[in-house]
Amino acid sequence: MKTTIGQRIIFLVVLLLILVPTIFPFLWMLLSSFKSQVDIIAWPPKFIFEVTLRNYLKVFGEQQFLRYLMNSSIVGISAVALSLLIGLPAAYSIARFGQRKLMVLILVARLMPGISFLMPWYIIFSRLGLMDSYTALILSHMLIALPVVVWVMSAYFETLPREMEESAMIDGATQQRAFVSIILPLSTPGIVTATTLSFIFSWNNFMFSQVLSMAKTRTLPIAIYNFMSYAEVDWGGVMASAVTIMTPAIILTMIFQKYVVKGLTMGAVKG
Amino acid sequence: MELYGGLLRAGHLPVQVISMFFAPQRRAEMKRFLAFLLIASLCVPVFAAGQSEAPAAKPQEIRVLLANHPYGELIKPMIPEFEAKTGIKVNVESLQESQLTQKLTTEFATGSSTVDVFMTRPLQEGLLFIKNGWYAPLDAYDFSDYPATSVSLGQKDGKTYIVPLVTEWQVLYYRKDLLRKAGLKVPTNFTELEAAAKAMTSADVAGFGSRGKGAAAVTQISSFIYNFGGNYLDKNVAVFNTPEAVEAFRYYGKLLANYGPQGVTSMSWENLMPVFQAGKLAMWTDASVFYGQLVDPTKTQVPAADIGVAQLPAGPKGDHPFIVVSWGFGLSSKTQNKAAATQFLEWATSKDLAVKAMLANITMARDSAWTDPSVKQKMNAELAATQSHAAKNGYPFDRPFMSAVGKARDLIGEVVIEAIDSKGTSTRLQALATEKVNAVNDLLKADGEYGGK
Repeated sequence: MKTTIGQRIIFLVVLLLILVPTIFPFLWMLLSSFKSQVDIIAWPPKFIFEVTLRNYLKVFGEQQFLRYLMNSSIVGISAVALSLLIGLPAAYSIARFGQRKLMVLILVARLMPGISFLMPWYIIFSRLGLMDSYTALILSHMLIALPVVVWVMSAYFETLPREMEESAMIDGATQQRAFVSIILPLSTPGIVTATTLSFIFSWNNFMFSQVLSMAKTRTLPIAIYNFMSYAEVDWGGVMASAVTIMTPAIILTMIFQKYVVKGLTMGAVKG
Repeated sequence: MELYGGLLRAGHLPVQVISMFFAPQRRAEMKRFLAFLLIASLCVPVFAAGQSEAPAAKPQEIRVLLANHPYGELIKPMIPEFEAKTGIKVNVESLQESQLTQKLTTEFATGSSTVDVFMTRPLQEGLLFIKNGWYAPLDAYDFSDYPATSVSLGQKDGKTYIVPLVTEWQVLYYRKDLLRKAGLKVPTNFTELEAAAKAMTSADVAGFGSRGKGAAAVTQISSFIYNFGGNYLDKNVAVFNTPEAVEAFRYYGKLLANYGPQGVTSMSWENLMPVFQAGKLAMWTDASVFYGQLVDPTKTQVPAADIGVAQLPAGPKGDHPFIVVSWGFGLSSKTQNKAAATQFLEWATSKDLAVKAMLANITMARDSAWTDPSVKQKMNAELAATQSHAAKNGYPFDRPFMSAVGKARDLIGEVVIEAIDSKGTSTRLQALATEKVNAVNDLLKADGEYGGK
């Protein structure tokens, strides 16, 4: 089907209308992270300015963001890995045995305001001597990751035809074996989606990390506040650390997006 | 180790909980599982006991929470000295102030705090923390070097709970060059202030700025209310609906609406300061803490020589800018290491450090810090003059001093917004103020503070 020039123009205009408001803040953040404080507050805004790397030197030098990056990675990866370990079999069981009530129960945990968990957690973790430990953070972040995994995956498993497991079982596989050897490999796109989503939720989480982390385990979203002090905001530092936090998440999404698309087209059952 | 140790120790709690989920036909499996858990949980106390015996000869260790504040930045690099001298290990954490309050509140409220010493905001959280018994009384501390009004903030029933650390007062920042161009002198009263604001307002520059964002504005309008002869509270009864106070709301609203920057009702200091630094604001009233940033050439476009600081103009019925203790130090009542914590508190609030802080442009609460010769020599004369004026005539509160201060600020903030939106002419301002006065009185009553003391 051929598109006329008119259609192309309309398409481009609509694209611009959508892109400008969404991209501009990010662009502004990126530009500001290379500006000095004077240029950031300059009015009218400067688009041509002297580029400085001072903000990034502060982020990685003075403020040791590599350590926070490590902390966020440890917490995010472990929480997602544990959630997959528990969540995949759970989702499979929910999908195959129609345990809808369990689904709703898990959703309720996700829908409850996170802050209502914090007080009890704080008491439990401090009694157990787990404050400022990765354990506490990972467990709390599993509350974010696990429901995502279960919901995305049980919906995904339901789309897979039962015949595939059945033929594996006719060949002598147990149901567990069929799950591991047949269902899981077929579900790569779904698993990638669930992993990416839940990792990003964990990566961005502020509330749980704020209360449960301390000096040693501070995660990135909390560390941004290092640049806001009483009666003073270091906007350059804030922007540079925001860029630092977003970059891994954006890269991850871009890589996995490709897999998701590929997996969706290849994994389909033909005929 | 801590990762698995924690999970294991947690393991022996939920035996009954887990067993509830087993279907009856799986009894045998359940028994095996319970047996396993039992063995596992029996092992745990052995480990735990082993752990607790070890640290008998451990050096004293304290946990200190600092705010992201220049004073925190100042003392952090010196803590190793303190550790070397005393043999006390100090674990420091710095947090942004609202996070600090939230963290302290969570830790104290759940009764499982491990904090020993912390920075605290007497006006914002002091009353509540005192009432809840979260500060330890400081019976042995020598308060003779502090102004009595600043110490009294942290007192209840004859005990003192907070060491005053940093003070700030309201000042008028202004552009010397613009004032000169307008052929005016620094305004000394509210009539002159309005005239100057009018004269310096142009298409490019706003004549007068101050916080317009509801709750945030409450502290900055306070001096205006005092100078018009009003107050927020009188003997713990809300009174900001008196004719004097309402006149102050109207005046503040009129000035900001007519001569303020665009969108002033959503502006607090973090929005106004960049406007002033970019040279788009001729006069700005706010707390004295911002002076250093305004004259720092890496942060401001206006040459330092063009920036002046003066005392807030006097009002028709008074000249009482607020001068408050914005930060203090407190000792947790739950501290397990009182001796070490007290030692740290004494060091962190010492005279030596106060002088060092003054030289770094942090305005300290200690009297002796202001009379120190090296400080006197270096201190900006204009700023020092505003301090001595405020110290003599000032009023020690910039907000209603009560436990529910946050809610009260929101309520008063609505009156400020109405005043600005109507350019000070609102016919329902009086009624609105009375409505909010009643609401604030309800808050006071709910906390058992109404009319007391």
